[in-house]
Amino acid sequence: MNTRRMITGNGAAAWGARLARVEIIPNFPITPQTAIIEEISLWIASGKMDADFLPMESEHSVQSALAAASSVGTRVFSATSSQGLMLMTEMMFVTSGLRLPVIMVNVSRGLSAPITLWSDHNDVLVQRDSGWLQIFCSNNQEVLDSVVMGYKIAENSNVLLPMLINLDGFTLSATREPVEIPGQDEIDDFLPAYNPKHTILDPKEPMSMGGVVFNEYMYFRSQQRMAMCNSKDIITAVCAEWEKMTGRGWGRGLVEPYCLEDSERVLVICGSESAILKYTVDKLRAKGEKVGMLRLRTMRPFPCEEIVDALSDVEKIGVIDQDISPGSGGIIATEVKACLGRGVTSFIAGLGGRRIGAEKYEKIFGRLGRDVEEWIF
Amino acid sequence: MKDPYLKKLTDIPMEDYLVGGHVACQGCSASLGLRLTLKVLGKDTIVINGSGCMTLLPVYPTTPLRVPWIHLAIENSGAAGTALYYALRRKNIDANILAYAGDGATYDIGLQSLSGAAEKNIDMIYICYNNQSFGNTGHQRASSTPRASSTSTTPLGKVEVAKDMPAIMAAHRIPYVATACPSYPIDFLNKVKKAAEVKGMAFIDLLVPCPVGWGFDPAEGINIGRLAVRTGLWKLYEITDGKVSISYIPKKRKRVSEYLSAQGRFSHLSEGDIRRIQAEVDQEWDELEERGYGYEIMV
Ligand SMILES: Cc1ncc(C[n+]2csc(CCOP(=O)(O)OP(=O)(O)O)c2C)c(N)n1
Ligand code: SF4
Repeated sequence: MNTRRMITGNGAAAWGARLARVEIIPNFPITPQTAIIEEISLWIASGKMDADFLPMESEHSVQSALAAASSVGTRVFSATSSQGLMLMTEMMFVTSGLRLPVIMVNVSRGLSAPITLWSDHNDVLVQRDSGWLQIFCSNNQEVLDSVVMGYKIAENSNVLLPMLINLDGFTLSATREPVEIPGQDEIDDFLPAYNPKHTILDPKEPMSMGGVVFNEYMYFRSQQRMAMCNSKDIITAVCAEWEKMTGRGWGRGLVEPYCLEDSERVLVICGSESAILKYTVDKLRAKGEKVGMLRLRTMRPFPCEEIVDALSDVEKIGVIDQDISPGSGGIIATEVKACLGRGVTSFIAGLGGRRIGAEKYEKIFGRLGRDVEEWIF
Repeated sequence: MKDPYLKKLTDIPMEDYLVGGHVACQGCSASLGLRLTLKVLGKDTIVINGSGCMTLLPVYPTTPLRVPWIHLAIENSGAAGTALYYALRRKNIDANILAYAGDGATYDIGLQSLSGAAEKNIDMIYICYNNQSFGNTGHQRASSTPRASSTSTTPLGKVEVAKDMPAIMAAHRIPYVATACPSYPIDFLNKVKKAAEVKGMAFIDLLVPCPVGWGFDPAEGINIGRLAVRTGLWKLYEITDGKVSISYIPKKRKRVSEYLSAQGRFSHLSEGDIRRIQAEVDQEWDELEERGYGYEIMV
């Protein structure tokens, strides 16, 4: 039976893992993620969840344990942030290369140095080439929904890739919102048990995993890329099924268009900032301004066709990046430009959780139409 | 005392789970060590490997391994073992978990992960095949490299003494720690058997003479291992419940010069250097004799 509760983004992530009946949870504490694993440890201790909680000695070990446990065919989950995600980098590529459908939540936090606890997207975007699917959530409900749907997408035999689900530190992780928690029966019908055929460590069927390849390396990478391409349709189909069950489809899974029909000026954004941007769009539209928003929900696969579909007729486009690749620019702006084949106005904003707010978004809407990079302090 | 599992060479099981046709060097004691280990552990064994020479055993699309094998990276065999232990229980798979990783992967880059698994006393067997260098990358210095040995990054000989890894493992209060060498297969395999039978983590530091890195003829691998033990430079012992007991006392210790002069990595040593090493070994064994070849290392 569905219940509705006021829970944090971290609570929603934990609920997603619980409903998906994950079996092994290697973990390591880091702000602002820690509440996720604390909640799970409490559920396991009180018998509400049947899983093994493995406190590891580092995030590198967490990612190694995720890969090893998934290789035996168990369903695994973990969560991390920022420095923790960086320490996992080596193993992120291994997990994906071995085609293990691990689901991990990242609670985004700016990278040191200098130290910040607050959110931006450089941590998760550093991992964009690691072969993980990447979902950016806009609210706590989407976090819960994405974790459960994540397993169904990642475990699909045409995908078999790990997935990183991002929620913004503090703005979502520590903020309570009303979240609908589906009943366990419903989820059990939706999400079958994981029974892998491609990799399984079992003496009954000996396999050598993670060996050396010579000339074939490129074929493996090409298969990984194909899986990423396949995932688009699977994400759309799983979101459609979820919508039927819960009424929530999260667009078609890849992008969320907002007031795009007659828009002359559009801002592209991802994550929880989209809520404030929507509010700004409503406000400006009430004054008769033709503005809109396009939220990117998947960063990998990058929704290129969807962006072209949504924006090809729009005259002035801006991209908000809560990240920076020094020497290149906003990471998302660079990718959007490559899709559209034309310039956009790139705004670097909100680094280390620096407040943007509706007033600044209004100003930003007034500055579109130039192919430049602008920092919004 | 209980009869040992193996008494003579012909007691060693015939069945092989690491078969021929792989690319390890001629005369490689590391692959020999794995082959022997798997004979004892049998088919219900899952091997975790840390990056090193042995990682080149399975080369796509072939594998010389008849048991499941997973290689993830160099520094995480302990973490992988921890996860595997719990995942196998969930899947009702009853198998030995064997980590087989090099000394660089164990003493150096993977120490943290191994320590985590040891602290949790994960029921696994961790064998560090110890060629006393980062072998696969061309025999660079590691914290396991003995003092005075030259390596490709210590051309003048290493200055520091090797880390006492068995003592570090024993300090984790794991139930079984041992040293061994494939040149003494009966001793080694009885230790593997004990490691498998013990509940909790077992650690074996296995000296594997390496013709390429140490500079000797591949035909001499077994001899070099014997010399390491007979000169008293590599001690064979076990640590159970904080108690060290020597498992082999060379009756008449050979001179260390016989071992050192047989290897390129020690060819730069002067006679004075060799005398100093001899004096150190003699002192260590005199002390051992005084202590009855057994002593407590922990209170
Ligand atoms: C993180 C990382 N750093 C460096 C390497 C390169 N590397 C591959 S094998 C190896 C040597 C490992 O030495 P050891 O564990 O002693 O095993 P051996 O090669 O002697 O068999 C190194 C350093 C690596 N694979 N991963
Ligand atoms: S370099 Fe040494 S340890 Fe490595 S495969 Fe060759 S002989 Fe064995």
